[in-house]
Amino acid sequence: MSSEAAAAPPRPLAKRILGETPSAWVFVAPAAVIIVGLAIVPIGWSLVLSFRASDLLSPGHSVGFANYDALLDDPDLRSAVGHTLVFTGLFVPLSIVFGLLLAIALNRPIRLIGFYRTAILLPFIASTAVQGVLFSYIFDERFGVANAVLDKLGIARQGFLGDPDQALLVIVLIALWGGVGFSVIIYLAALQDVPRDLVDAARVDGAKRLGVLRHVVLPQLMPVTVFLVIWQTLLSLQLFDLVYATTRGGPLDSTVVVVYYVYKQAFVLFNAGYAAAVAYVVAAFLIALACLQILYRRLSARHA
Amino acid sequence: MASRARVLMTVVALAATALIAVSCGGDDDDDGGSGGKAKLTFWHGQTEMWADCLATQIAEFNRTHKNIEVSSDTGGVVADRMLQKVTAGLQAGNYPDVAYVFGSDLANFAKSDKLVDLTDSDKIDIDAFYPAGRDAATVDGRVRAVPALIDNLAIVYNRKLFKEAGVDFPNDDWTWDDFRATAKQLTDDARGIVGTGWPGTGDEDTTWRIWPLVWQLGGDILSEDGDTVGFDGASGEGALSYVRDLSADGSVYIDTSAGSERMNQLFQSNKMAMIATGPWNLPDFVDAKVDYGVALLPAFQGEHTTIAGPDVWAIFDNGENRAKAAEEFVGWLTSAEQNLTCATQAGSLPTREDVTKLDGYQDYVNSLPGLTKFVDNLQNAQVRPTIAEYPQISQAMGKAIGLMLFQKAEPADALQDAVDKSNAALRVPGP
Amino acid sequence: MRERALPFSPWHLLLAPAAILFALPFAWMVLSSFMSNAQINHFPPTIIPDSLHVVGWDHVLRRATFPSWFVNSMIVASVTVVSNLVFCSLAGYAFARLRFRGSSLLFALIIATLIIPFQLTMIPTFIVMERLNLVDTLAALIIPGLVTPLGVFLMRQFFVSLPREVEEAARIDGCSRLGVLLHVAIPLARPALATLAALTFLISWNDLLWPVIAINSDETFTLPLGLTTFQGQHTQDWAAVMAGNVITAVPVVVAFLLAQRTFIESLTSSAVKG
Repeated sequence: MSSEAAAAPPRPLAKRILGETPSAWVFVAPAAVIIVGLAIVPIGWSLVLSFRASDLLSPGHSVGFANYDALLDDPDLRSAVGHTLVFTGLFVPLSIVFGLLLAIALNRPIRLIGFYRTAILLPFIASTAVQGVLFSYIFDERFGVANAVLDKLGIARQGFLGDPDQALLVIVLIALWGGVGFSVIIYLAALQDVPRDLVDAARVDGAKRLGVLRHVVLPQLMPVTVFLVIWQTLLSLQLFDLVYATTRGGPLDSTVVVVYYVYKQAFVLFNAGYAAAVAYVVAAFLIALACLQILYRRLSARHA
Repeated sequence: MASRARVLMTVVALAATALIAVSCGGDDDDDGGSGGKAKLTFWHGQTEMWADCLATQIAEFNRTHKNIEVSSDTGGVVADRMLQKVTAGLQAGNYPDVAYVFGSDLANFAKSDKLVDLTDSDKIDIDAFYPAGRDAATVDGRVRAVPALIDNLAIVYNRKLFKEAGVDFPNDDWTWDDFRATAKQLTDDARGIVGTGWPGTGDEDTTWRIWPLVWQLGGDILSEDGDTVGFDGASGEGALSYVRDLSADGSVYIDTSAGSERMNQLFQSNKMAMIATGPWNLPDFVDAKVDYGVALLPAFQGEHTTIAGPDVWAIFDNGENRAKAAEEFVGWLTSAEQNLTCATQAGSLPTREDVTKLDGYQDYVNSLPGLTKFVDNLQNAQVRPTIAEYPQISQAMGKAIGLMLFQKAEPADALQDAVDKSNAALRVPGP
Repeated sequence: MRERALPFSPWHLLLAPAAILFALPFAWMVLSSFMSNAQINHFPPTIIPDSLHVVGWDHVLRRATFPSWFVNSMIVASVTVVSNLVFCSLAGYAFARLRFRGSSLLFALIIATLIIPFQLTMIPTFIVMERLNLVDTLAALIIPGLVTPLGVFLMRQFFVSLPREVEEAARIDGCSRLGVLLHVAIPLARPALATLAALTFLISWNDLLWPVIAINSDETFTLPLGLTTFQGQHTQDWAAVMAGNVITAVPVVVAFLLAQRTFIESLTSSAVKG
């Protein structure tokens, strides 16, 4: 790295003062304009809405922080947050671990590998609505295949999606089935980029397969793993389609997650202002978490 | 390097051109100003048979009313998503002229000043419609929509399963005790047959089925003055206890799928003996070759009160010219002849009494076994109040029913919770 | 090569059951598309069609507007893919390799836009489209998807994981930043780009809720939107829905197969397999 400074030709003054900034901004301009530009209106609109009592059909009126006050006392919201955390806590690690395992397995030059790869990616390709239909059949309490299999194995029948205590876990299973493909495909791509010479050097040093995995491959996969953790977490917190397609939040509200709660408040109970406040509280919480994480990294970097 | 950059530029230019090309696609049709042809958008939210029938009706209307043109574009929205799409439209100022609205959503739509008030309309005579439909289209004493579809709940039973079990068919004076005993008798776990079913999602499909029991026990959704609920007390507790007892018997299939789809499939597969449903399912039962009969809902004390869940055509204000044209269209669409034309495809009962006097009416009634029972049942039908807070009450009661189905609470406690939540919602002053 | 105890690689023992587990429900969907509605509505469900019913396929393919649904989805998805490949690479590279003022903040903002749920943002986005007079056009579907946070984030991480040495060598040789991106980084990131292309295609192709809100006219429907016309409140034409879903899945499967072409049998696997 220091060799660059020594060997590079002297840079013009303007470049030395402004650094990379102007050309960098050209690189990011389209992304910035489209993503942030298009998001400004919705984010602002939602923020304003959160301070109003509105059903989106009549003018509504401003209520200051009343919505935010109310949600602190809302047991249904607390349950929804709880369900979301359970889902996220289960889904994210499992989808990443299984995704990695499957990707490593799928990264072999064996016969039928193309078929295996396609087969394992198929659920990911199907839309959530289809996943919902398929799995509500499989997990039906009285007549589903899953219980039929359990019967044959001599295990007691389960309530699955019809049992308030199990439904959320079944949703995790369905989400894993449908979502692990995302991790798989990304890890597969990342495995392509592991530098061959590093692997060879390790082998020459006598490292066995598992050792190469642990000391060469996994560290190379770190940036992509970081991405997957963050991305899958964001997706988990946004869970909606699967719940809508299978249980509609039931039974007994046991699968109501935060975004489903927001939808219910806005479009079933006509409390759009309150829904916006809920969305913002979740957003604020996430931002706080992100700030904490950045702070932690800065601090640990300083001590390193 | 230059060539690569050029490739890049070309790609971007192509994309931009494509973008511009496709953005010149849609053009807002004007409302035809004052004196031009009025062009109407009609989001009927229907699919399949009814949609096809509506398409021919639209063509017929356009042919016979040269000064109005109703678009054949359906708006790309099914009834389930209509609320979200129309809400977005109202917010943005781009909304249809006529839309299919669920009866339970009308009271909230009525808060929008864009929903046309039809009380004094000369194109629409609300008194010609059955009382259930009339009530569902009226909010705060003003007519804000026109009935589009009317139904009611009755018990459809599987004659084959009854015969196999040696149980008598239901008759017209059966009681809820009879129903409970019959359901228990017909439940056969070994053969995978269940007596009856109840949706367990906790939404309106779960809730609306309990109101007939509440009404029969002397209660109501709202109290006399409308400020509190009318089902706190014996009526509510009696209704909830009944559901709990049914569930405890093991004769209820708790349907957790959306739209009570699983229940219908079970019935069609001869796995459910009795199902509380409306006339919309009869064509499917015929298709599936189920040997069925229709019976009135059971009674507690001799009154077979049932519930009707009408849906409506709502007219939105896109300027006087279009609003008047929309009134004319909806008036035509809901006339007796037009009502009969698509009644079979819509799976709807006639919305007005003069339909029963028309020539083709007998054929329609005979097309589906059991349909007459549903039509006669209209006189027993009551509707939910058109108040903006109904969704809250529905959710609260839906939760209570769910607790009964899953036997997780005592009826009195679940009722108290539902009553408290509903009263709290009723207390909040409207905007 | 070590002697194998089995005549085939032991990996098959893991992959075959996994593949079946994942593919079976999908296979059931394909088989259902060849059933009659009466059979599909039968509960418990059956797997093998009692005879080859093509009524579902017939309903879908005969629909007059079906070809335009397909074409519209193709247009939207293709433009979205190309645009994302270009702009996400640019932005991702900048965030990965260039140091500039405001880079952390901008990156955080881009990710932050995801935090407010779509159920709420769809209405103001619709308002924006209405002001731009783009409601009921394909542009309304394309513009919000031209650049996605997923794409920017993904490309950034891939570029970060590339070894710096080759890029630095090119810089020393006098190559501009853009040149390094085009000649060095992108060729190395081909699998990532292929993956991004396939993912973007999938997301755009399967999108339903936004087209429901933004599109009004039958000729402008996308494929998922058009398929909703086979599902009513109380009755569904399940055979048609299944057939429609199979049709919808095919281009995406093709997209992922094409993406996999860029995955050469891995360097690690050939070094690691025993």
